[in-house]
Amino acid sequence: MLRASAAAEAAGVPSSSLVCDGFLGQGATTAVGLGLPNLPMAKVPGHVDTQTDNELRDNLTSVTVNAVIENLTAAQPAAVMIPEPGPQDVVMEGSFDEINRFFYENGWSDGLPIVPPTRAKIESFLAFTDLPTEHVIGKLLPDNREATVWNVAVNGVMAGCKPQYMPVLVALAEAMADPGYGVEHSGNTPGAETLITINGPIIKDLEFNYEQGALRDGFMANTTVGRWWRLYLRNVAGFILHQNDKGTFGNTWRVVLAENEDALAKIDWPPHSADFGHARGDNVVTISRFTGGDVIASVFGQKPEDMLPYLADALISQSGWQLIFTVGMADGSYTPMLVLSPILAETMAKAGWSKGDVRQWLFENARIPAWKFEQYIVEFTNFYSGGRSMFELAQLGKANELYGVSKDPDRLVPLVCDPMDIQIVISGDPGRTNAQVFSHNGILGFPTARAIRLPNDWKNKLTGAQ
Amino acid sequence: MSNGDSLWILLPTGQRASGEWIDDTLHSRASEQGLLDRLTQVAAFPRQRVEVVRGPNAEGQVNEMFYRRGWADGLPIVPPTMARVDAMLRGGGQPRNTVLGEAQPLQGLVTVEKVAINAVMAGCEDCHMPFVLAAAQALIEPEFNLRGVQTTDENVTPLLMLSGPAAKTMHMNSRFGALGPGWRANAAIGRAVRLIMHNLGGGWPSAVAFAGLGQPGRYTLCLAEDEEFNPWESLREELGFAADDNVLVVQRAESVVNVTGGLDDLASVMASATSSFSRLHGGTVAVVVAPYVAKLLADEGRSKAEVKAYLHENSKMTAAAFEKTWIPSRLAGQTKAPRWVREALAAGGVPAVEKPEDITVIVAGGDIPIPQCAYMPTWGFPSCRIAKKIDLPQGWSPVTEI
Repeated sequence: MLRASAAAEAAGVPSSSLVCDGFLGQGATTAVGLGLPNLPMAKVPGHVDTQTDNELRDNLTSVTVNAVIENLTAAQPAAVMIPEPGPQDVVMEGSFDEINRFFYENGWSDGLPIVPPTRAKIESFLAFTDLPTEHVIGKLLPDNREATVWNVAVNGVMAGCKPQYMPVLVALAEAMADPGYGVEHSGNTPGAETLITINGPIIKDLEFNYEQGALRDGFMANTTVGRWWRLYLRNVAGFILHQNDKGTFGNTWRVVLAENEDALAKIDWPPHSADFGHARGDNVVTISRFTGGDVIASVFGQKPEDMLPYLADALISQSGWQLIFTVGMADGSYTPMLVLSPILAETMAKAGWSKGDVRQWLFENARIPAWKFEQYIVEFTNFYSGGRSMFELAQLGKANELYGVSKDPDRLVPLVCDPMDIQIVISGDPGRTNAQVFSHNGILGFPTARAIRLPNDWKNKLTGAQ
Repeated sequence: MSNGDSLWILLPTGQRASGEWIDDTLHSRASEQGLLDRLTQVAAFPRQRVEVVRGPNAEGQVNEMFYRRGWADGLPIVPPTMARVDAMLRGGGQPRNTVLGEAQPLQGLVTVEKVAINAVMAGCEDCHMPFVLAAAQALIEPEFNLRGVQTTDENVTPLLMLSGPAAKTMHMNSRFGALGPGWRANAAIGRAVRLIMHNLGGGWPSAVAFAGLGQPGRYTLCLAEDEEFNPWESLREELGFAADDNVLVVQRAESVVNVTGGLDDLASVMASATSSFSRLHGGTVAVVVAPYVAKLLADEGRSKAEVKAYLHENSKMTAAAFEKTWIPSRLAGQTKAPRWVREALAAGGVPAVEKPEDITVIVAGGDIPIPQCAYMPTWGFPSCRIAKKIDLPQGWSPVTEI
């Protein structure tokens, strides 16, 4: 039953289904099965077979007609939300092992032991934000669940964060909820992983590591905040392996990358957060999704012109299928990241080069032949199968004009559409001439920044916590 | 630490692909139908995979809780602890998170784990799991029309017939009392299928399922084809499988009609109004021939095909009688009988089914000279005789170690 109505509704035509009394329950259930739980139904009282014509006429005019009018004119209520345990419900009592087993078996853990989120621990996190507990930060797809100050704190406890990391976590939840970031893509097949960078005095306040081993575990702030990110994606956004999270291999949480603000000050280069309108001294987190990339070891040279060709080559060698985000799937949303150790940046700055100069040089010189670019996005991956060349796309306005300068397949084209698309961050062992390149997941994890809001009396609270 | 038992149980109820739990829909339906006086805890459960139940008599608590939540069939269930479900999964050899499909009408996802949970509840042994899996897959085949079976006013239920050498080794009964109680395989495998329909498809009686009476076969309707007493080719060989295959055959069946006697008695029952729905919808009916009758027929040199042809020919209802049966007389002029029915009526009488091949014949029951045969009419579209070959996992053993 109700299939004709469902078809009408699916085609955008309002429907009213006349259903006899005894069949209303069946109708409601059938409607659910048809994917339209609120399919409008109008009751026909009694059983049509057993009524006289007059009785039927009275029933229809007094009951059914009104319902039909309402079905066809009133807005239907939205389908019911999935009820879950209340945010402040105690879900389990027991020993540490029992809680961990329970959380793991219910899909709330990443497989490592979690710190059981007790009320007391959660409240210690809440003390580090001035936002009200029920404050809704946003709604996270795919589960469409609310990100709240409370559940940020709960996951913070679980991840092993310290209470004073709470302002960072709140800012990260805000960034995750920014529609521009595209959290709903976080379960995509390539399985790129978020890299969080952090700027500002809060780096030292919370003892983030920003020097040797900046991307390795070992420092609680970098490590636990990174872990929090994936727990939050799991428990609030709803990315569960074998369900919504479809990464072929995936990767796992990265430790937070803190920029070396001392080095930046020394060479007067802007912080990474400046790309998003912030200034040195602002506490800011940024997020974007990257695939693995590589270490660029032993960047040799005393002048920028000697060092940069190697770095340009690194950007080239680490950019392959991701070029689809420059041309093809998106227009100029590929923003790879280059992490330079301080000594490399200092060498360049000593020669009078600004960060902008470095970006400009890389933009102009990290180029590949057009045929190679097209090989990645068409022949190798079939990501773009529209049958048009880059030149034609540029002519049609579907690709940046940089790609339509000529038809020559050997013409060199850039990896990105703008020098600012090459993100540069200063961190790592200050004395080692290494760099790191991360390839970027384009619009499916677009660089997003959020200012970190500190509670009133931050300094005192911090001292009290230590 | 805890006092008394601490049971870690997996929840058997269905979740849709969208994440919604079917119990929320069921709560509305149960409320409308006045069922919440008895089922006092519908939809009142933690929306999780695992629940921990503690205290003295935790098993009893779980049993009572599951009944009140609407997850049982009225008989006690075996609490599906993680350990029991893990063992059941090992018995089935399939990964727990594999999604087999959705169960209509409420579209709960049928995962291997949920099948195992309901199989544990039903009382299955671990070695039954491959058979429960095969049955679950049959249920969600479109041709089974699970939505129809669950929501109709008719009393139809799945009929499970096992044809193959495993029936004997796993003690699925094909002899005395094959359609009655006492044998765990017959009881639990059929019951697991019902619990899957109930808990994943949401076919709760009087809330979603409005069968006027239902039937006892809705507890379980499961038997094996007897090998020794069958003088003809086996059901599985008829359907194109090998003699050493194990094949589960699933059909839609209305209530079992007992027939003491032989082919003429069977045909007379088939000719009656019990076959109303195969005359309306078409479809496949089932006949269980008693060993005594099978031997007599074989000694007369009659093949299985001839037996089917005989039953078909002699299951005719005259036009005069047909017009008086409920459906044509009540829906006079509004429902056209299928063409084969109209043509048959014009020619003098309409058989129970369109052609002899639409009759499934197996031999089962006790070998006694007062032969107990049975006829299972059918209901619904489309014609359905689903055969699932059982792939027994490596190391499958029909004997459960204690």
